Amino acid sequence: MQKLDRLVWADGISIRAYGMRIGLRATKKGALEEFLPSLPPGWKTMRSQVVDRLYSVIVGGESAHRNIRLFNLVYANANRIARTPELHQAIDAFETDLQMYVAEMSPHRLFVHAGVVAWRGKAVVIPGKSFSGKSTLTSELVKAGAIYYSDEYAVLDARGRVHHYARPLSIRESGHLERPKKYQVEALGGRAGNKPLPVGLVVVSKYREGATWRPRRLSAGEGALELIANTVSARREPQRVLSTLNQVVAGAPVLKGFRGDARQVVDYIFETLSR
Amino acid sequence: MMSKRNHFAPRARKEGLVIQRLADEVLVYDQERFKAHCLNRTAALVWKHCDGRKTAGAIAQALEKDAGTPVGEDLVWLALDQLAKSRLLTERTIPVSGTGISRREVIRRVGIAAAIALPVVTSIVAPKAANAINCRASGQACTSSAQCCSGVCTGAPSGTCA
Repeated sequence: MQKLDRLVWADGISIRAYGMRIGLRATKKGALEEFLPSLPPGWKTMRSQVVDRLYSVIVGGESAHRNIRLFNLVYANANRIARTPELHQAIDAFETDLQMYVAEMSPHRLFVHAGVVAWRGKAVVIPGKSFSGKSTLTSELVKAGAIYYSDEYAVLDARGRVHHYARPLSIRESGHLERPKKYQVEALGGRAGNKPLPVGLVVVSKYREGATWRPRRLSAGEGALELIANTVSARREPQRVLSTLNQVVAGAPVLKGFRGDARQVVDYIFETLSR
Repeated sequence: MMSKRNHFAPRARKEGLVIQRLADEVLVYDQERFKAHCLNRTAALVWKHCDGRKTAGAIAQALEKDAGTPVGEDLVWLALDQLAKSRLLTERTIPVSGTGISRREVIRRVGIAAAIALPVVTSIVAPKAANAINCRASGQACTSSAQCCSGVCTGAPSGTCA
């Protein structure tokens, strides 16, 4: 860390996001602009330079010597997390690390890997890992009129209410090897919400080609296990996790099943919430 | 063998556990093994009565009072077996039946006779933080293993996910 501190830093910023203080500095003026879109939603600058985690970006590019390209290096505190000639890969590594750090360490919020939309004042939480089809289902719900909250995390407070985490939706259009494309919610004809909401329904669905949506209702305890399986800080603070998720499953049914086309589930969800 | 079973008085483990009671079920998180368990109502009642003094017979009687319906010892042993396997008892194993009856047969008997639900303990392994975020498929570019669904970034920090 001392070696990094001895470098000349052309630009820097301190921010606060979800209760965490993050610093970001770069060796080249203007480089930070490329990293700002990767900051967590709702971030705010702060004056203090005392942070919980400091990211240092040593910008690469062309060297003074002919035919030599310098690598872009990114450090999280003293740990190098990226060494790449491609700036977008360095930005990706930064985004992944920061997201994981905030999701795990946030003192006042619980992060569950899930898509979230709102319908008639209640949140629909769609927990699931990558490739479970949750972003596709989230985008179909938004196209059908639900209000977009997130396709990444259900951010829960101590009362079990969901807060928004509105990043552009990431949708894989063909094949799982393809890098997902990002869409602003307005491009899908939808809009984003920002009020904290109680959870009205939890949908645990996995895409299977040709499947028909016939979910079974889980018990509250089984539903809590499905949420724990997708909770970032499950190992670090189990007491808070169990207490918060108890609030969720006490008030919201949890349905689980395989689905084919996401659109068959959309109507089902709207009907269930309208009862 | 029968004598061992007759005198066996299981004790619920408490150390290293985080417990959350729901309406009818109990959630238990094992901090030593990073596992979360859900005990249904019947399993939770059996666990509640594992005080190191009650035998299976005494637990069955206690359950009858709680549940308001006759409860056979077979049902209690079924619960104890699951609780022991989930490491929710201080004892790692329970004395086995010497009659050679299979677990399936016990479930069948208990299922026919029981007026309360069979005991069920459902378990999962709690994810590490890195496993609970979006990850990249095999073949996609990566700079660290944390980014990959496989957990391996070959050639990092300028690699591809295995």
